[in-house]
Amino acid sequence: MLVQILFYLFGAFLVASALGVIVARNPVHSALALVLCFVTSAAIWLLLEAEFLAVVLVLVYVGAVMVLFLFVVMMLDIDLAELRSGFTRYAWLGWITAGVVIVEIVGVVTARNLGVDVTRGTVPLPEDYSNTAELGNVLYTRFAYPFELAAMLLLVAIIAAIALTMRRRPGLKVQDVAKQVAVRREERVRIVKMDPEKRP
Amino acid sequence: MITLAHLLTLSAILFAISIAGIFLNRKNVILLLMCVELLLLAANFNFVAFSRFLGNLDGQVFVFFVLTVAAAESAIGLAILVVLFRSRRSINVEDLNTMKG
Amino acid sequence: MASETTLTWATVAPAIAEIYLAIAVCVLLLVDVFYGEKRRGLTPTLTLAALALGALLTAQFGAVTERVTLFNGMFVADELGHFLKLAGFVFVGFALLYSRTYLEQREILKGEYYVLALTALLGIFVMVSAASLLTMYIGVELLALSVYAMVAFDRDSGIAAESAMKYFVLGSIASGALLYGMSIVYGVTGTLSLDELAGQLRGELSAGVILGLVFIVVAVAFKLGAVPFHMWLPDVYHGAPTSVTLFIGTAPKIAYFALALRLLAEGLQGAVAEWSQMLAALAVLTLVVGNVVAIVQSNLKRMLAYSTISNVGFIVLGFVAGTPEGYSAALYYTLVYVLMSLGTFGVILLASRKGFEADELDHYKGLHARDPMLAFVMMVLMFSTAGIPPFVGFWAKLRIIQELWATSHPWLILIAIVMSVVGAFYYLRVVKLMYFDPPGELPATERNTGARVALGLNAAAVVLLGLLPGPLLDLCARLLH
Repeated sequence: MLVQILFYLFGAFLVASALGVIVARNPVHSALALVLCFVTSAAIWLLLEAEFLAVVLVLVYVGAVMVLFLFVVMMLDIDLAELRSGFTRYAWLGWITAGVVIVEIVGVVTARNLGVDVTRGTVPLPEDYSNTAELGNVLYTRFAYPFELAAMLLLVAIIAAIALTMRRRPGLKVQDVAKQVAVRREERVRIVKMDPEKRP
Repeated sequence: MITLAHLLTLSAILFAISIAGIFLNRKNVILLLMCVELLLLAANFNFVAFSRFLGNLDGQVFVFFVLTVAAAESAIGLAILVVLFRSRRSINVEDLNTMKG
Repeated sequence: MASETTLTWATVAPAIAEIYLAIAVCVLLLVDVFYGEKRRGLTPTLTLAALALGALLTAQFGAVTERVTLFNGMFVADELGHFLKLAGFVFVGFALLYSRTYLEQREILKGEYYVLALTALLGIFVMVSAASLLTMYIGVELLALSVYAMVAFDRDSGIAAESAMKYFVLGSIASGALLYGMSIVYGVTGTLSLDELAGQLRGELSAGVILGLVFIVVAVAFKLGAVPFHMWLPDVYHGAPTSVTLFIGTAPKIAYFALALRLLAEGLQGAVAEWSQMLAALAVLTLVVGNVVAIVQSNLKRMLAYSTISNVGFIVLGFVAGTPEGYSAALYYTLVYVLMSLGTFGVILLASRKGFEADELDHYKGLHARDPMLAFVMMVLMFSTAGIPPFVGFWAKLRIIQELWATSHPWLILIAIVMSVVGAFYYLRVVKLMYFDPPGELPATERNTGARVALGLNAAAVVLLGLLPGPLLDLCARLLH
């Protein structure tokens, strides 16, 4: 019963914040609504006993991806007044599409022959079940090949992000640490021999 | 008791909201990227729900990889956005119309 | 599911192309970091050498005599995959060879460009050998993310950034649809493996499978560029640097053929009646829109984009047939099309100079007088793409029509023929401009000997395969049996 109440509570939050993402006029508000979306999703995944993914969702999305989004929103210095001017003439099309998609998917889900029994609840997991350990067991054995590919994918992201955004500005003053370390005394200090001044 | 139908309906609503957002929004490319994130979240919801109800861990492993892919994807998307903003000084969707035909 | 615990040479050799390429990417990246600044041409040359070595290694060690799955059912190795990987090495090698001068003149001859091309090729290989929904998804993303970055690579070009953004947003939506469809199919069947999926889908299909199928078909249509999911294609072809357009228009098409084949024709073969109907509707729209809109284009790259769309219509028609012979016709068409568009964009690259993109139709007026070799190659390619015998494009169209006839689709044949005739108009217009219009005041063409030799070979292949179509046709038929 408690689980059910929590599910409806978090579900309502999730839908409300998802709507907030698309109707907010200010991109910062949208990003924060999306953060709320991810946090409530993580809560629902916890209710489903998918603990590892719930934690990863918060760490990766809220902790990294959304920070990146907010960082870019702030960095780009976008003219907010211009962005506030309303929806387009395609707005009605968007709402109709959304309605049709919901009706179709829900229709299929509630139809008799989806192919799986949707009215079932979950089978409770045993006390000593560890979601993280189970995932770890398969991730590095059965899923080793996709794991290696995911590493390549992250490499692509690094290369692409650096190649696209790194700029060498002319006239930029930077330190060359190697040169600083390799400097010799003669290059910095000049010892000048002078006769002591005579008192008049 | 939460049934599979509850979760699939929730995921369908998320999916529909993200599609609506993509149609509604003609002002700001960043919002489009956020709608894509919502779309992936909806698919992830399906995977987690099915995985739990089928008692089959493959779906959760899939979500793990989708999270990795989505992080890489948003990094590249934002990099392209920065390039676009530097050349246009605008990220308005309606300004993306230099090519016609 | 049994887990393989020991790795032996026999269990990894069929994946040599992927393993080698992943290592080559890392090595090239390191070489570029340490020596790329000092020697500008080093990474491009090494990349071509790496591709040649990869093709040799794959040909030598990667061959399999029968279909085997490796890595706990994540990876499938068969003769088709082996052949497509070799083709991938060759096509990417040619594409990079043509692009070099172009990149140099626009000051984007950087190591990262070549590394991204190789990671895109890795994505193509992963898709070609995918035996699970998961590996297919990762392959799609690996290819797509590399290509998005390549489109935006010329940072000073506003039009490239704009088309990269469009490509990225629409491509991510397509990936999202693919993922949503996969999640439903997984939920209904309880498996990610394409072989097990094929085993489960027998008899009457549940509503869940059909729903998942709709999303997957939309995503496949999108990646191929079938109407009405083609919006990204003209803008990306037009806006991207020509070298990137050449890249996108060639090797990835093999991967999207593999995507359709592995997902629809192998995994979801049980739903062939449903998806072939959906594809038939898409194919008709694609043929009509592609050919009709191409006529009114004044930009050559944009015209070729719509020409690509119309050719995609033919590839989709091969799948509509729904038989192994139909798929082999689609494979033949894909290979032939890639060969032709490799040459066509190669001509555009050689015709362009620094500050002159040579992408308007008017830039080709009187090309014959200025550069007879380039004009001749372009004429061969245009005739072939239009489907005029005896060039190879004719056989490709004929094979598709034969298979439609064998599976009794008279209306589709009629539309395909009418649209081919409409299409012939705009290909022949390019030939007319080159041979019969007076040359204007235009910059001279590029004199890069290496690229010219490659282009000559490319055109010779189009002619030879047209005169002797037998071997490749037999090979395609054998690979899909």
